[in-house]
Order: sequence, then C-alpha cells, then structure tokens
Amino acid sequence: MTVFDEAFDVIVIGGGHAGCEAASAAARLGATTALVTLNLDLIGQMSCNPAIGGIAKGHLVREIDALGGIMGRVIDRTGIQFRLLNRSRGPAVQSPRAQADRALYRLEMRNTLENTPNLALRQGMVVDLLISENKVSGVVMQDGRRLAAKAVVIAAGTFLNGLIHTGRRTYTAGRAGEPASIELAEALKLLGFPVGRLKTGTPPRLDGRTINWDAFQRQEADERPVPFSFATDKIQQPQIDCYIGYTTTSVHEAIRKNLHQSPLYSGQIKGVGPRYCPSIEDKVVKFADKDRHQLFLEPEGHDTNEVYLNGFSTSLPPGMQQELVRMIPGLETANIIRPGYAIEYDFVDPRELGPDLQVRRFAGLFHAGQINGTTGYEEAACQGLLAGINAALLTQGRQRFLLRREESYIGVLVDDLITQGVDEPYRIFTSRAEYRLALRHDNADERLSKFGREIGLVGDSAWERFNQRRDRIATIKQALETTRIRRSDPAFPALAEKTPLNPLESISLADLAKRPGIMPKVISELLPAEIRSGGRVDELEFALADNLYSGYIKAQESTIHRLHAHDSLPIPDNFNFGQLNGLSHEMAERLERAKPVTFGAARRIPGLTPAALATLLVNVSASV
Amino acid sequence: MDTIVAVSTPPGRSAIAVVRLSGPQALVILRAVVGEAEFNPEPNRAILKEVLTSEGVLDQCLITYFQSPHSFTGEDVIEISCHGSPVVTRRLLDLIQSYDARLAEPGEFSLRACRNGKINLSQAEAIRDLINAQTMAAASQATRQLRGELSEALQPSEHELIRVIVTLESALEFVEDDLPAVQVEEMRMAIERVAADLGRLAETYSVGHLLREGLRVAIIGRPNVGKSSIFNRLLRMERAIVTDIAGTTRDSLTETISLQGVPISLTDTAGFREAGDKIETIGIERTRRAMADADLLVVVVDGSSALQKEDHEVLNEARNHSFVVAINKTDLPAQVDLENNFNGSRVVHLSALTEAGIPDLTAAIMEPFGRLDSASAGFLITDSRHHDLLVRAISSLDGALESMDQGASEELVLADLHNALRFFGAITGETTSENILSEIFSTFCIGK
Repeated sequence: MTVFDEAFDVIVIGGGHAGCEAASAAARLGATTALVTLNLDLIGQMSCNPAIGGIAKGHLVREIDALGGIMGRVIDRTGIQFRLLNRSRGPAVQSPRAQADRALYRLEMRNTLENTPNLALRQGMVVDLLISENKVSGVVMQDGRRLAAKAVVIAAGTFLNGLIHTGRRTYTAGRAGEPASIELAEALKLLGFPVGRLKTGTPPRLDGRTINWDAFQRQEADERPVPFSFATDKIQQPQIDCYIGYTTTSVHEAIRKNLHQSPLYSGQIKGVGPRYCPSIEDKVVKFADKDRHQLFLEPEGHDTNEVYLNGFSTSLPPGMQQELVRMIPGLETANIIRPGYAIEYDFVDPRELGPDLQVRRFAGLFHAGQINGTTGYEEAACQGLLAGINAALLTQGRQRFLLRREESYIGVLVDDLITQGVDEPYRIFTSRAEYRLALRHDNADERLSKFGREIGLVGDSAWERFNQRRDRIATIKQALETTRIRRSDPAFPALAEKTPLNPLESISLADLAKRPGIMPKVISELLPAEIRSGGRVDELEFALADNLYSGYIKAQESTIHRLHAHDSLPIPDNFNFGQLNGLSHEMAERLERAKPVTFGAARRIPGLTPAALATLLVNVSASV
Repeated sequence: MDTIVAVSTPPGRSAIAVVRLSGPQALVILRAVVGEAEFNPEPNRAILKEVLTSEGVLDQCLITYFQSPHSFTGEDVIEISCHGSPVVTRRLLDLIQSYDARLAEPGEFSLRACRNGKINLSQAEAIRDLINAQTMAAASQATRQLRGELSEALQPSEHELIRVIVTLESALEFVEDDLPAVQVEEMRMAIERVAADLGRLAETYSVGHLLREGLRVAIIGRPNVGKSSIFNRLLRMERAIVTDIAGTTRDSLTETISLQGVPISLTDTAGFREAGDKIETIGIERTRRAMADADLLVVVVDGSSALQKEDHEVLNEARNHSFVVAINKTDLPAQVDLENNFNGSRVVHLSALTEAGIPDLTAAIMEPFGRLDSASAGFLITDSRHHDLLVRAISSLDGALESMDQGASEELVLADLHNALRFFGAITGETTSENILSEIFSTFCIGK
C-alpha cells in the first residue's frame, strides 16, 4: 500500500501564471490545495517581458478577473505603466496593457497566495505522477515525498525537458539559472502522451545606467489608466516612461554575417518558435528589405536599473549579443546584465484535452499553460483558472465548468487548442474570435461574472459592485433611447453643424451617437443632468459601445446562422470517424485526433477538405 | 444500410428501361431474381439473363454488376436493363421489393454517393444540372461548374479581399509594431474593384439562369392576327390548328424548342376579346396566366388592318412586361400607323404565310442572349444559390465601403469584409482565421 506524506484534494505543479490561478481558484472553491514549485521565491515570476495585457491578451485578463481570478488585481497593484491600446479605434478592439514592476508583481502574487485559505505552498520538484485505474492519485517528489491528490494540474511552463541555447552552447534548464524538469517530462511520455517540441526566446537585459536615454523617443503612460480588475478604482503605483529606438542596417549586416553562430540557423534548434514573436535573427533574414526594426526599452521596476530590450530576442552567443547591442544608436556604451537566450521545451498535444482542460486518458489530470502549446502569461493564466476550477469541481462531484467561443476569448482559446492542436506556440488574437464585436474588454463582467458567482469565486462585495454598475449602465442606456433632440433644443444649432439633422423630426441620443464624428463627449453633454452627474465615463462608453455594435452583431449572427446552420449539430460520443466510407485515411485521422463534439467544431479543424466535411455532415445528420 | 431500388429511366413506354439496385443485398437479390444461387457476374460486364417470377420468365434482361466501392454510390450496384413496358418494369420492381429491398426516395442514390465520398455537394449540384440540362449550352455550363471553374473565376477577387482584410487586421492586432500605415484610399479602391468584379459575375445570372431554366415566351394578341401560325413557324411544324375563324385557339398550348442552344418554352394563347362562351372565358384566363409566367411576350398585330380596341388593350397589358411587337401579314398592304402606336417598342415585321421576317423574330427573342457568345468566354452564374451568395457578398462589401466613407474604425469595416468572405467561402471553401494570421505573418514583420 502506498504511504503518503500528505494528502490534498488538488495539487498544482508549477508556480507560474497558470499555476497561481489554478491553485488560488481551487483553494477558494473549498478544495484543500497544494501548489508545488521548484522555488517559492519565484512564484509569479515573469520569465520574459515585464508586461501584462495587450490586444486580445488584455481581454483575457479582464475575463479572468470577471470570473474571479487574481491576475487583474495583482497587476493593478504592481503596474508601472498603464496604456489602453487602440484608443483611437472602436471599443471592441481596445485592450489594456500594463508594464509591471517585475519584483513587485512576484511578491504581490506570493502574498496573495499565502493569504488564501485552504492553500498550502510546497517547495520541491515533482518527478512522477501516481495513476491507478486510469485515475490520478498523487505525485512523487524528487526528495522522496509522496503527496496524495484527487486531481492534479500540471502547469510546468518551459521546464519540461527545457533546453537553453546561447550560440552553440546548450544546457538543460527550465529558465536561465533554474533546473529543468526532466523526469516529469519522461513520465508523461511513458504514460503515452504525444509530446512535441516548441521553442521560445528572450532578449538581453541591460544596465540602465549605461544607456544614453536621450537618443530614444519617450513613450508615456496614459493620463487616465484603465485598470484590469473590475474591483480596482484607482491605479496607485507611480507611472514611468518607456523608450522607443531602432536597429540600423549595420546591425542587420553584422547579424547576417554571424548567422552560423545562431542555433536557430545552424539547425541545432528543432522546436518551432512563434511567428509573431520572432528573434532578431529571424527579423533580419525574413524581412531583409526592412532597414530598421523597432525596439522598446522597458525599465523593469522602480528599484532596479535593469532594462528589458524588447524586440531584440536572440540566441546568438552572449559576447556577440554585447557587440550587437553596442551598435544600436543610444546603446554605444550599454552593458548587458543578463544575455538573451532561446529555450526549447516539451508540450503535450492539447487535442488530448476535453473542454474542461482535463486529459481524456486519465481522470483527474489537468494541463494548463505552455504544456498545452500556448505562449503568454495571460493565455497561461486563463487556462490555469479554468483547470483549477474544474479540478476543484471534480473533487467535489460538481458539474464541470465550460466556456463557449461566443461568450469569451477564453472559450475561443480552449476550443482552438483542443480541436485544432498547435503547430507553433499559440497566442490569442482578436481575429481568432468570430464574435469579436461582442467580446469587449469592458463588458467581460457582463459576460462572465454570473458564472464566477455561480461557481463561487466571485464574492459578495464584487457581486454587489457588478450589479450596481450594471444598473447604472442600464439607466444610461435608457436615457440614450428616451432623450431626444429637437429643433427647439438650445444644443440643436451647434449639433447641426457637426451632423445633418432634420429640423422637422427629433432624434434620439442613441441614433445620434451612431453618426460619424459624434464623440462620446458630445453625447455626455446632452444627457439629462442627473445621469451625467451620477455616471462614470467608462459606463457611458460601455452603453455607447453596445449601441454602436448592436446592428453589426445582428447582421453577423444572421450571416453565420445562414451559412453555418449545421454548426450545432452534435456528433455522438465515440463516433467512429474511421468507419466513414469515402473519408481518406488522413481526413479520418485528423477527425479522430480532434474528436469534435459538434459539426461546427469539425468545420474549424484545419486541413479538412470540403468533400470530407460534406461526407461528415451527411453521415452525422443521418445518425442523429 | 438497406438496399434500395428504383427505375432510373423516365416513366412511360420505351425500348429499354433501367432498374437500378444499390446496397449490400444487391447481389443476393439479383441471384434470387435470376434464380441462380451461385450466380457471380463479372463486375462491369453486361450479361444477358432471364428474370424469373413464380409464374415463369418475366423478361430477358441485360444485367451489369458494379462492385463496391467502384460504383456510382460506392455500394454494390446492379443495373438491370429490361424492355421498356410499364407493366414489365412494374412487375420487376414488385419482384425485387419482395426480397430485401425498398423503393428509393428521390435523390437517394446521389445521397449515398455523397455519403460515401464519391461526389461532393457542389458536384452533386452540377450533376443535377447536367441531368436537367435541356440544351447543349446548359450542359456545357454544368460541366464547367463540375470542373470547379466557378471557384477559379472567383479566386482573384477572393485573394484581393483577403489582402485587404490582412492589411486592416494587422493594423488592429499589432498596434505596437512598426507597420506601414494603412493606405485607406488604396483599400477602398481594392474593395470597389472586388465589388465591381463580383457585380459583373452576378449579372451573368440574368442570362445564366435562362440557360438552366429556359426562356418562357408567350405569343399574345387579339383573335385572328396569326398567333398560331407564328407559333407553328417557330416550331417548324404544324402543331396548332390554324383556320381563318376568329377564336380557333381556345386553350394555351406550350412546346419547347432550342434556339442557339437556349431552351425556349413557347406558348400559343387564346386571343383577347370579350368572351363569347364559357370555354373562351377559361381560355382567356389561361392567357393571362401565361402572360404572368412569361419572361417575354410576343404581341402579334395584324399589319393589314388598322389597330382595333382589343389591340390597344393587349398592348396596354404588355407594357408591364418585356415584349416584342410582331406586325404580321406583311404579304398584304400595310394599314397600321407605326409611328403613333409603337414608338419606343421593339418591332418586327413578318409574314407567317411567307415566313419572311421569322428570322428577325427569332433574333428579337434571342436579344438578351446577344452577350452570350462574348460572355460565355468567361463564366455564367446559373445557380440561384450562387447568385444569392454573390449578391450578399456585394452587399457586405458595400456596407464596408459605407463604413469607410464615414471614417468608421477598422473593426466595423472588417465586420462587413469578414461577412463577405464567409459568403465567398460558401462557394469556394472556407478561409479560416489561421489562414488570415499566416498571411499577416508572411507579409509583415510582427514582434514587439
């Protein structure tokens, strides 16, 4: 009989962004939870750039917050440069981004976890999973400890078989200076999981005292920072500036001359890297006609001189990195503190997962973050949250919690992963969401807080706050519909200069707001005084965004309904795709791997031919 | 899967009729029908066999076995060619159904072919058109669709649309990257070009759908102006009864002819006048119905006499339709005041008696197809579903242009462009968001 040192409901392996959310959610749902990590001092470490959010990623953080996750609150307390991206564009594609004080973020995250009831932190390395009767029962640690668990979440990041490359040198590591997790990676292979290799990279960090800051263009924080959390009223951290600079053709020339020293180009790196986060080597080779590439100098915190050289990710030998950096205008005397590097790591085909992020092979085992082939803190965190919630729900015998593509970016991400798999590190984009106009960052609470409340992650005060906000927005919406501007109105003449108005008819503020050139400020001034005085700018913007997009969303829904009427057609469990006559072996294999549960999910599987889909449709509709 | 059976040739009496069986029991049933338990026909070879009932030999038939999966449906298929008497085919069907087969639903053979991956849906559509084609021109158009030429014709437009989407998407998604500024005017012109190209393609439907469905022409006019004579001349046979008694034609009469490869359904109608009796009343009612259904009216007047009250009534009724005036009886001295009566109308002078001017009437009927020769070098839209999708795509593109004119943000312009792309996809196959992202990464250097 197995003797355990300790027993938990849920064990989370890894203290990165996925692991933190998973552990926090499971514990707060009442499951006794352990977070096992290699180094307690590095909980919530930002391994790469010191920033959270950005287009679509910011949406994810706000969705995490609306469901009751912690990332939004932590970054709101530790962010040192808040910017709302795409401010000049429509509300659906605006997204908050904040640069963090790297050390503060880490401390705040650890503090948050330490103050979470039911949550135990344990330092150590997990080397094996205990599985009996196709069910996970615990983990084995390197030091011999055995921990029992009803559910296990693996959120090991780049540590699984991590291999760092700088120039021709390679060494095993999970991150620079930290050991890789080799035995756990081997254990996963032995359990039969299909494992692949991915690659990512990071740029050098500079000593800020050796930078000629005047040579760079200053980029300031927003005057009115937009927080990530719906619970945050005000950003308290003092805000700093970042700086923008450029590479030159002579830098490119030098890189091209030394490509043979780059493991990316010598064939040494086998893993696939992300196309949207290329190394500087890739940039100068693939876009050889560009005569400069943009760089960002991002200070890493209030109390450090360390500066992150964003845009210069490289795996060239450290000596070469130092030479190249000094060729950049403004960095002539700059010193590198930490060299950049590339890292290869194992991931498990996410088509192994169900929509709750539980693997199909074994009950109680969940995967979250880079192990699923994703990249990015936000992508990791939202998976951690979903996996942590479902791990706890499973141990409590409650129904699993799933999110749909139509209602959240998290739903888009999970559905993409489990039906399409990954060929390169997966990052979220707004264009991945069919219903982009409906999935705004500022309405994440309206879309998701009800679920967070039902599950039990959204507390009384947050729920009360949400309801009050919703009521105020409803009042504004009603005022927009009922307030009409007539010719007799004192504001009429000034308004008529901005947009054509029919003097014989009145016009509602809702209709007026849809006119080009009518800014929210104009509408705000026309609202009844009692609404104007009580409302907040973001709440008026929310109401106007709903007003602006409603027609488009309806038109799109009708198009999608017309063309994809069969999307909701269910595909029965254990449907045997291999048995379908006329389906080529390759098509059947793609379907088998993805195991789509609806025809719509099958339609989104890449590489399926129209003929294969037609065959599937005819058979599925016949079998239902 | 059960085994289905149907008569594959049209109903009625013919030299030969084909009864087709498809399904796993086809061969077993065949053995029972020919009374040979060991009968193992070589696939794809016709064999002469006697079909037996309990009462003796039913017929001598030519039997062909197509072995699964090498058959139209992908299943075992048996084709039995028997003599084309309705009695024989009826009894053969009954016999087969007495074993383990049931009568096929309409289109069930094609459905099975589709289910077994032998054909895809758009091929099925093209096959349907090919079977229904009434003329060579329609058949060749269906063949072109079968070969995927519509997708090809749409490809340049689709690529251009994707290029615009990629440019606008990258401006939205990669706001922190150092991307070239979007050339709004260039984008607008590209969308306009795509809309115009689609518009031209969609317009071919006005001719294209006639290729499929045929042109309905009704010959109308007051009694005794020579409608039936013209009808017979166009048919090149004495189909309608012609006398000099006004009101000889009491009922509408329809025949199909092929003019330059286009199917024309030609209807001779009862003349317009105050009805003399109940039969004539019904006849005139049918004339009105034929007029309402027609794509083109041929209004016949007697050129040898002045226009009468009924002529004016007919002309008035025709005003709401597309019509040609045929002034008949040019073999007699002309009495009709052309200038005051037909100004602005298309007019043809002819004599049904001498056949002078009949080619002019044919030419006038075929005028909408004047573009056919030049247009058929490109592609004709013949299917209403394709036409509908194109029109919707164009309307989405117009929406995008309108948003651009109003200075709307990219995501609103893109909402319409993506809708347009979805309509495209219903014809050419879907473009996924992954395709768009790949295109972005190969076009722009992304990566802050």
